[in-house]
Amino acid sequence: MTAIAEERAPTARQIVPAEERHADELAFLAAADGGPRPPGWALTPRAVVTFICGSGGESVGAPGVPSRVIPVKFVGERSLVERCVVTLAGERGLLLTGEPGTAKSMLSELLSAAVSGTGALTVQGTAGTTEDAFRYGWNYAMLLAHGPSSDALVASPVLTAMRTGRIARIEEITRCLPEVQDALVSILSDRRLSVPELSGTDHATVSAAPGFTVIATANLRDRGVSEMSAALKRRFNFETVDPIADADAETALIRGQATAVVERAGAAFSVDDAVLDALVTVFRDLRTGRSGEGWDVERPGTVMSTAEAVQVAASIGVAAAYLPAGDPLDLLPGHLLGVVRKDDPADHGRLLGYWDGPVRRRAEDGAALWRRLWDARKHLQ
Amino acid sequence: MTTLRLDPAAELEGLAAGTKPHLIGVRHHSPALASVMPAMLAEAAPDVICVELPADFDRWLPHLADPGTRAPVALAGAYPDGGLAFYPFADFSPELAAVRWAYAHGVRVRCCDLPLTATADGAADQAVQGPQITFAAALAARSTGRDGDDMWDRAVEVLAPGCAPEAVRRAGLGVGWALRRDAEAAGGVPTRDLVREAYMRKVVAEAAADGSRVTAVIGAFHAPALTAFPGDEVPPEARGEVVTSLVAYSFDLLDSRSGYPAGIRDPRWQQQVYAAGGDPAKIEEAAAHVVTAVCRALRDAGHTAGTGEAAEALRVAGDLARLRGLPAPGRGEIVEAITTVLGQGERLGRGRALARAMEGVLVGTERGRTAPGTPRSGLGPAVEADLEALRLPRPDEPGPKEVRLNPLGSALDTRRELLLHRLAACSAGYGEQLEVAGTGDGTALTTKWRLAWTVAVPARLDLAGVRGVTAAQAAEGALRAAYRREGADGVTCGLLLRQLEAAARCDLPGLLADLVAEAETLLPSAATLAELVVALDLLEAVGRGHIPGLTADERVGRRVRALGDLLVETAVAGIPGLAGSDRPEDAVALAGLAGRAAEDRLGLRLDESLAELCRTGSPLMQGAATAARVMLGLDDSAVMGGRVAGWVDVATRPETRRALTGRLTGLLAAAGPLLHAAPSALRPLMERVENLSDEGFLARLPALRGGFDILGPAARDRVLAEVQDRLGTRPDLTLTASPGMLATWHGADAAGRAVLAALNLPLPVAEAAEPTPSPAPTRAPAVPRRIAAVDRWRLLLGRERGGLPASCRGYGRALDELYGAGSGEGSQDLGAGTEASFPSARDWSEELQALFGADVREEVLADAAAAGRLDVLAELDPAAARPSVELLTAVLTLAGGLPEQRLAALRPLVRRIVEELARELATTLRPALSGLATPRPTRRSGGPLDLPRTLRANLAHARRTADGRTVVVPERPVFKTRARQQADWRMILVVDVSGSMEASVIWSALTASILAGVPTLSTHFLAFSTQVIDFTDHVKDPLSLLLDVKVGGGTHIAAGLAHARSLVTVPSRTLVAVVSDFEEGAPPEGMLGEVRALAQSGVHLLGCAALDDRGAPRYSVPTARRLAAAGMPVAALSPLALARWVGDRLRGERA
Repeated sequence: MTAIAEERAPTARQIVPAEERHADELAFLAAADGGPRPPGWALTPRAVVTFICGSGGESVGAPGVPSRVIPVKFVGERSLVERCVVTLAGERGLLLTGEPGTAKSMLSELLSAAVSGTGALTVQGTAGTTEDAFRYGWNYAMLLAHGPSSDALVASPVLTAMRTGRIARIEEITRCLPEVQDALVSILSDRRLSVPELSGTDHATVSAAPGFTVIATANLRDRGVSEMSAALKRRFNFETVDPIADADAETALIRGQATAVVERAGAAFSVDDAVLDALVTVFRDLRTGRSGEGWDVERPGTVMSTAEAVQVAASIGVAAAYLPAGDPLDLLPGHLLGVVRKDDPADHGRLLGYWDGPVRRRAEDGAALWRRLWDARKHLQ
Repeated sequence: MTTLRLDPAAELEGLAAGTKPHLIGVRHHSPALASVMPAMLAEAAPDVICVELPADFDRWLPHLADPGTRAPVALAGAYPDGGLAFYPFADFSPELAAVRWAYAHGVRVRCCDLPLTATADGAADQAVQGPQITFAAALAARSTGRDGDDMWDRAVEVLAPGCAPEAVRRAGLGVGWALRRDAEAAGGVPTRDLVREAYMRKVVAEAAADGSRVTAVIGAFHAPALTAFPGDEVPPEARGEVVTSLVAYSFDLLDSRSGYPAGIRDPRWQQQVYAAGGDPAKIEEAAAHVVTAVCRALRDAGHTAGTGEAAEALRVAGDLARLRGLPAPGRGEIVEAITTVLGQGERLGRGRALARAMEGVLVGTERGRTAPGTPRSGLGPAVEADLEALRLPRPDEPGPKEVRLNPLGSALDTRRELLLHRLAACSAGYGEQLEVAGTGDGTALTTKWRLAWTVAVPARLDLAGVRGVTAAQAAEGALRAAYRREGADGVTCGLLLRQLEAAARCDLPGLLADLVAEAETLLPSAATLAELVVALDLLEAVGRGHIPGLTADERVGRRVRALGDLLVETAVAGIPGLAGSDRPEDAVALAGLAGRAAEDRLGLRLDESLAELCRTGSPLMQGAATAARVMLGLDDSAVMGGRVAGWVDVATRPETRRALTGRLTGLLAAAGPLLHAAPSALRPLMERVENLSDEGFLARLPALRGGFDILGPAARDRVLAEVQDRLGTRPDLTLTASPGMLATWHGADAAGRAVLAALNLPLPVAEAAEPTPSPAPTRAPAVPRRIAAVDRWRLLLGRERGGLPASCRGYGRALDELYGAGSGEGSQDLGAGTEASFPSARDWSEELQALFGADVREEVLADAAAAGRLDVLAELDPAAARPSVELLTAVLTLAGGLPEQRLAALRPLVRRIVEELARELATTLRPALSGLATPRPTRRSGGPLDLPRTLRANLAHARRTADGRTVVVPERPVFKTRARQQADWRMILVVDVSGSMEASVIWSALTASILAGVPTLSTHFLAFSTQVIDFTDHVKDPLSLLLDVKVGGGTHIAAGLAHARSLVTVPSRTLVAVVSDFEEGAPPEGMLGEVRALAQSGVHLLGCAALDDRGAPRYSVPTARRLAAAGMPVAALSPLALARWVGDRLRGERA
């Protein structure tokens, strides 16, 4: 109950970081499981798994602590989370790969919040990311005025994590230039960073405190992990995060998140379940290249991620709330076209092929919903 | 049915404590139970052990327990109708452990399951499952597949190490109880199981009747049913003779992925767990062995996998087990750990190598053997009995003999045919199928075989015997093994289709269903259009039961039909890949495919694809798509007529004339049937042809003639007849004025003529060529026409040359020299065109020049050269020839077959064309390649601080501090951008010369020669078909390069890429562009693997489906899609686009 109260607290932030959102759950789990912890960890490995995967609807507790149910935060295989936790417990780098929109970043945030109490030590990888983001930069005004000193040094999130024995997160590592990525090799193997400008002082090297490690995420659609050097790859354990396997779980997730988005926009989410079901079905069919009935579907080049399904559901929800005009189902083909047709014009043909195949067949089998979608095909052209 | 609605713990306690009988609930393969079995039995000290095996196997038990028998072995029972019960055993099978213990300790063993000969109500649905009637499979099936499997694994196997035997027994019983409860809750235990359990109870009761202590080693699922004795006996009925056998088996067949029933995953690992005997430390040791062996295998496959990773994988496996509360890592933990640490997130490439390494290490290939003295059984005797029954050559009547079978007509012959196909699949060396010629167009319905029972046959059957005990099972096993072997590097569509056909011919529904399932995934994603056509035919034969002896299975039939629909859709999706085709066969295929797809329904996709082809395809495909749209009713035939007329109108330049030929060819090839039905569709074309001026007509005549050449002589005759019909009706149509009015007009004409004559003005030239005077000469258009409409058609159709007026014969003769009489229907008809051909190419050339002019002459001669006339090339003047890629293509195609002496004569021509083209191209390309990256100062923080600039920029902010020092406050720091090292880049052009790529080959060579002039770029040129030739030495001289390339052969892209990979030294500064139609002949996995390897190393990759100035490619769309997924984008490019791509990369702009 208190968690909900806190979530509604009038902090004017769009997104509350995981460690604050789940602060009392984390505190509870830290108190409830008194088992041995890896050095630098806030929770036991088992409690981290429970925090992320939930307690399966059962109350957990320990003598002296009131028991409570931990809700699911990451919809996916439990064994995947277990492997991630084991990897981190061994202080080895963890690389989460997968299609865009598979909640890699969320998983990495949850893991670091649970293990080291903060998910804020984050580097966002872009083509313009420099080595400074992994090592350190300078306050140039101070540097020129006073010469190199530890005060003039601006620590990167990675350096801060090393000093404090926490987890550093690197988002989209493969989007950094390979030369820049390789700055991590020495950090991950020597667990030490030298600052040559400060040589002769105590600050010439920074050694990693126990508990320091790195969670990186990489997107298979961008450049993949292909541009990572073999040396860097060898220092990571790789986990592939797959799209949600269970259609019902995905529908529930989409409804939940779309409701939240629409409510932030100040309206009530009033989209019919049938529309959401159709949305999830189309997304899953196009993503997997195979319909639920086992028909082959030509996959578009675009990623059909759960995150994008949430956006579509939210857009339909907002439209239905503020611009009510007819059946929200009619909006679906147009939104789908927007999602599918991003860079490859041939994707339009693939969506038409999907309409010709599964949609039409389902309509012919007598499903009223799909008949409506088939009738709405003019929106696709 | 026993009701079980009690507290689980109490219920389990009751099960475990029972002594009548003492229960051991097992899974068919369970290292945990097998290793504690002797201890459990020693503790229970039974007098009789009842094992869940059909009673028919009683006679094999002594041989099974024989110390000379080495597992894995299998017990099998074959029904006369082909059904099969199959029970493989390994050391880690609890039943085998129990039987061995019993024989070693002199305890009686009884098989307590329902005899195979017996059947019961509800067996019908079981018979469908066929080989699935085993308890392990039953367990898996009863418990929602993999989850249930995991349940046993999690509840029994992984927890067992270090536990007391009794605890393991209870765990097994508990899982069985749970599964049973689930089954009851989900709709009841199948009848067949209830009947079997009743029989088991009967046997156990009989065994216990004399007061003996009985231990029942039965499937855990059945354990709860054996405690109560309701006395419900079901009298079994006989189902005929069952042949039982005990045969050697092997680990690779025991693996559950092999397709054999009742297997387990990763037998070698299970064997190691069994050998560890429940000691966690030993299991950890075994895990360490597995991990190191996988690393070693991975290194052997050329991937990095060091000791560090091995140690990490072992740590992860151990920690996972501890996190999950397990005493030792199980199979699941080891696989997870290895994948996490060694897989590096790649599913192809490294992932595939890893999977293969794991398979080798975890599955194993150990073979069992039966003890000496075991009676002979299995495949050999079964086949001999079959041959006896079918009266075919056999041991006592060895042949050789030739038989002709009519499998579609006679039931006996159907069975014979089936057996012969199966024996052939097992490589028994027994029969050889002979060719039977069909009559007419039809295929032969009978088959002919030469059969002989030679000494080699029994020996080969013994070899095949390990794969099964009947011809059907052995054939299936042999086919599967061959398929796995050939498909080890990836399954090609061709291989899959061959296998599919073999499975259908041998009537193996299980294999067929598997293959259809595989085809559902593979064919839509990988098949070329040609393969799709083959597949559609095969599926139709299977679906309609045209294959003799194939059991009609409604489920398979439905799937096959659904797959057929799917493939039609796939083919529709592949239509854009035809855009650049210039083969008439493709036009025909397009029309056929469109018709097939529209039979079912007309999709949006097809509509759009055809419209796209109409707009952007090659001329030939534009024509074909236009025709297809009319045939499908998407466009009106008037639209087509108008479009065709438009083509004729614009055909004023050589390029557009060539396009006219292509468009007409495509249109007529695709629309053959349409023209039969509605020749009026061509009416606008006819009018246009008739209304052209003489010059206009003559300029277009060769192009039109070339277009109509696709029609056979008879079809052209029909068009001519239509034209004549139309012209014949013309007077009627034009007689709109009344005769009186006509008379008035004529009078006025005559008066005018008289006036002109009187004034001595020249009269209009009389139309000498017109045999009959036009009925209304004054209404003729202003342009005078010497060649009458019907003669125009005679000329451009090349028919009725006898009917031509003398003034036109020359044109007809000159063009006949090129086109001849044509081929196809009516080509034997010698009614026309009997004039002598030209004595020499020179005469012909001069005649063409005189009749048509220089431009057209050159086109006709180039066409003739392309059609194989070598002599005409000498007539082309190197200085005057218009440089075009088409001409160059034609010349180069011929150059391959020329002796050096003739080649020397051609060289000036080729040189001039190549030089001209290269000069034009260079002008276009140069801007794209200019410009180099230079480091610039920037205000963005990033690179190192540019101190001098910073000082200069901030001098204004200098302050004097209190102690007298001067401090510059750098408000605006300036940085250096990272200067790129100027290392040499390498460009590797990998060009497919396998056949249909001539234009692209030429453009590639030209582009390469220009790229070779870029200073920081070293350019390589690899030509490949099935071999790779490195033309890097010639790259600056496109002439010699082009003259040396030999076009033809198959396509092996992987080989080309492999060679390219060997040239890579600095991957991130290497560009590889592949020019190909991507119709890979080898398994696509090789090619995908190469692409992936290159992409991983950081090489910049680009696939060009076509490299020419048109940008309409002809290529395999599915392959291109898979390549793009592997890291090589595929597009149709112009040389300019390629040069831009190269320039972008060199300047460091990433895609």
